[in-house]
Amino acid sequence: MKKIIHFTLNGEPVEALAPVNMTMVDFLRKEMHLTGTKRGCEEGECGACTILLDGRAVPSCIMLAMEADGHEITTIEGVKKNGVLHPVQQEFMDKWALQCGFCTPGMIMSALSLLNENPNPTEEEIRDGIAGNLCRCTGYVKIVEAIDCAAKKLAKAKEAEA
Amino acid sequence: MAIMSKEYYADIESVYKKPEDYELAGKGNAYIRIDAEAKVTGSAVYTDDVDLPGMYYCKLVHSPYAHALIKSIDFSEALKLPGVKGVLTGADFPEGHNLGNPEAFKELADKEPLCRKKVRMVGDEVAAVCATTEEIATQAAALVKVEYEVLEPVLDPFYSMQPDAPAIHYPGTSNLSIFTTMKAGDPDKVFAEADYTDKHYYRTQQMVHAAIEPHGAVAKYENNEWTVWTTTQGAYVSRYWIAWGLGVPESQVRVIKPMLGGGFGGKLDVFAHELCPCKFAQMTGHPVKCILKRDEVFMCTRTRHPISFEIESAFTKEGKLLAKRCKHILDGGAYGGSGIAANTLSLICATFPYKVENIDMTARRPYTNHPASGAMRGYSACQVHFAHEIHMDEVANALGIDPLELRRMNEITPYYTGPTGLEFTSCKFDECMVAVADYIDWKHRDRYPIGSGQGVGLSGSGFMSGTGFPVLVTPHYCSSSTIVRLNREGYAVVFSGANDIGQGCDTVMTMIVAEELGLRMDEVKLVQSDTTATPWDAGSFGSRVTFLGGNACRRAVGDAKFKLLSHWAEEWGCKPQDITMKDHRVFIKGDPEKNISYNEACFGYEEKNFGRCVAGVGSFAHEGDKDIYVKNVGNYATAYSFSASAAKVTVDMETGAVTLDDFAFGHDCGRPLNIRAVEGQIEGSVLLGFGFTCYEECVYDKDGKHLNPSFRDYHFPTALDMPKIKTFVCSEYDPEGPMGAKEAGEGSTAPVGSAIGNAINYATGLTLKELPITPEKLWRALREHEKTGKTVFGAEDLPEKFANMPPLPARD
Ligand code: FES
Ligand code: FES
Repeated sequence: MKKIIHFTLNGEPVEALAPVNMTMVDFLRKEMHLTGTKRGCEEGECGACTILLDGRAVPSCIMLAMEADGHEITTIEGVKKNGVLHPVQQEFMDKWALQCGFCTPGMIMSALSLLNENPNPTEEEIRDGIAGNLCRCTGYVKIVEAIDCAAKKLAKAKEAEA
Repeated sequence: MAIMSKEYYADIESVYKKPEDYELAGKGNAYIRIDAEAKVTGSAVYTDDVDLPGMYYCKLVHSPYAHALIKSIDFSEALKLPGVKGVLTGADFPEGHNLGNPEAFKELADKEPLCRKKVRMVGDEVAAVCATTEEIATQAAALVKVEYEVLEPVLDPFYSMQPDAPAIHYPGTSNLSIFTTMKAGDPDKVFAEADYTDKHYYRTQQMVHAAIEPHGAVAKYENNEWTVWTTTQGAYVSRYWIAWGLGVPESQVRVIKPMLGGGFGGKLDVFAHELCPCKFAQMTGHPVKCILKRDEVFMCTRTRHPISFEIESAFTKEGKLLAKRCKHILDGGAYGGSGIAANTLSLICATFPYKVENIDMTARRPYTNHPASGAMRGYSACQVHFAHEIHMDEVANALGIDPLELRRMNEITPYYTGPTGLEFTSCKFDECMVAVADYIDWKHRDRYPIGSGQGVGLSGSGFMSGTGFPVLVTPHYCSSSTIVRLNREGYAVVFSGANDIGQGCDTVMTMIVAEELGLRMDEVKLVQSDTTATPWDAGSFGSRVTFLGGNACRRAVGDAKFKLLSHWAEEWGCKPQDITMKDHRVFIKGDPEKNISYNEACFGYEEKNFGRCVAGVGSFAHEGDKDIYVKNVGNYATAYSFSASAAKVTVDMETGAVTLDDFAFGHDCGRPLNIRAVEGQIEGSVLLGFGFTCYEECVYDKDGKHLNPSFRDYHFPTALDMPKIKTFVCSEYDPEGPMGAKEAGEGSTAPVGSAIGNAINYATGLTLKELPITPEKLWRALREHEKTGKTVFGAEDLPEKFANMPPLPARD
């Protein structure tokens, strides 16, 4: 069975027909053809499928597409705006905070969620913020460093604005 | 081993850039990974992201039994489901075309694409279904009825070798997939005369690679040719085995490796999930995708060999290592495949990083009905350096010598040749050891009384850099090859067979070419890992990629450069070696006249040569004999890397929980080509080693059923569990390495476990001889120690098991 859902996807309004039992990650990948959101375990344990639901990180593999109805969804494809990388993305590149990159989209979404809630996180808070995202390649060292640098850059930019 | 090809490539090497002129190599922040932007924006295409019009989905049917005969397979219910497009069994593949190793170890070609008559592990693939959606395929697979006759599962590798154990593959072979010996000197005499001798037992567990990307493949069939996008660490090796499994010529199979979400050795073998989509694509005319679910990755791909150790050593009372005898029993699981190399590697690793002239070592790899063991990052080295380095501390304690000093007293020195012919080149082991010991303040380790719950530990290791031998054998020459084309529009194209599995070798290859030609990184375009577009490469394993692939790439660009510069040398009346390529220009230093752009230089060459473009080819292979897998004589790799680790831990003496407070890693990787990349490899290695030591273990019930095939039940460290990591790169230019580099991906995992293990032993005052050291195990040990005073825990069943092993079969 399918149902029509309405939601905002990366800033754009979407009306779509979604199978009622389809997970959000499959819906994004198979129906919306947004493959940046990854499937690592499909049981909510690895964080590779993390997206933002109204600005907060959620694993999209244990969420149904139906649950997006009426909400604002951001995927990794919506993070770079007007051709400009988000500072978190830029720092991940500059700090070599990725290797195979399979965890990277999810990591970045968790980092964005963390910085939305807590713009000046301590190292411990950063580690806590990405504790639901498994990375088998990096040992997290450079990821923590990248998020920390991005937070500082964002804070500086805000200060300059003010 | 002398590199005979050195002479062959001498002209080419004469125009290589000199180290003092490097602008990119070794400059950490001079460039970023070429795949970084694609990876941070989600546009990077991995196998599961390959989305073709009209694509069907394939799902495999697995055995629920560890050891059973297949009586019948009934697809009738599955075929009734609307959307089901086809089914496969073992009979659909040509008989005798098993996967594994042909040539060198024929008997190890033991894996049928789909099992015909017998299953040998829980998860063994017996059938496959194809449907229009992944959901229908999953439902259909559940409707396939397979009738089995259940056999006794063989789960203990020691029992497996006994004459009365049921045969897993071939009767009358003691279930041995392979055995290896390594001998030198006169160990018996030395043992009889030595001041100090001992005998100790250790055991490591089964762990998995747990790359976050699950295995999978997409296949299409068109014009009598298959194109396969697959999660492989070696596109060419996969092509050989896919073609073999299908019974078709290699010319009709094209394998493309998209971005790979981590390999760690788990994506070297060829699997049913690659062959079945090929068959279905041919049958249906549609592209077919098969992506494994996480539990399938756990159960049906590969694992790290669990090893049981018996180690005997002989030392002088002053601490000089005189002789070593050891027996390694590797649980091979159900199949051979990439597992063959484990045996030899376990012995080779046991001969370093310390000099030992008298050895008598054997390794046996019995089959069991566990999932197949295979290659895994720090192949055999993690287990061996755990056991042998815990052992080293035990010897130090017994002799009353500082463990650091005992290690330094026996360490390998530069250009040492081992007693069986291992040829070491550069070696900065001592610097690594000293750096980490200083960092952890080893001298003042007494500040933590033994058994106080806090402690520090050290360990050292070595690893091959640029393994010359395939871990999954094909009939091809085991080389890395590259083609480089210079374009007069101001860029160069590299056709590299090297397989980036996440470690970043695409960036390394690009950098080498940019460096040699004086171009920017973005002016070098990389074509990678596609059997139609790129030249042969044996795959990413054995720390060979930077070393062999990097050398191949440098020779290819050197070949092109030599041709270009020879042309201009003739024009300018000088030697090719007098000409520099830098900042997009080709010139003679200090001569304003003889200074043209890269574009003009290429154009001039083409003009003179009737339009022929400037192109170079290069290849690199280690010249050795793969007989080393059984005889163990000769050199294994072109160079060796060395590492040391130091750990500071806190053990909660109430709960047994271990916190890794601080960790230092010293690595001798030759000249680091990019310090950020080297650090990244080391940091990832520490995670793997920490997981290996304190977290990870595949658990089975008595029937061989995997009890924790999910990330919910199989844990590895999260960001909250990992310490800060201090990296020391103790580098020295290696004469054989590309731009002086050695390896930094695998050796870096080897000493982690034993440093943590030694620190835990120090902190608790116990000796733990078995991994993983989970809080529960540690808690039990601490309680028992309180009650009975017992101090040594783990591997208690091994003395008897080793004593009762049947003799080694004769080698024919
Ligand atoms: S795929 Fe969703 S948490 Fe792993
Ligand atoms: S970079 Fe590979 S899993 Fe994180």
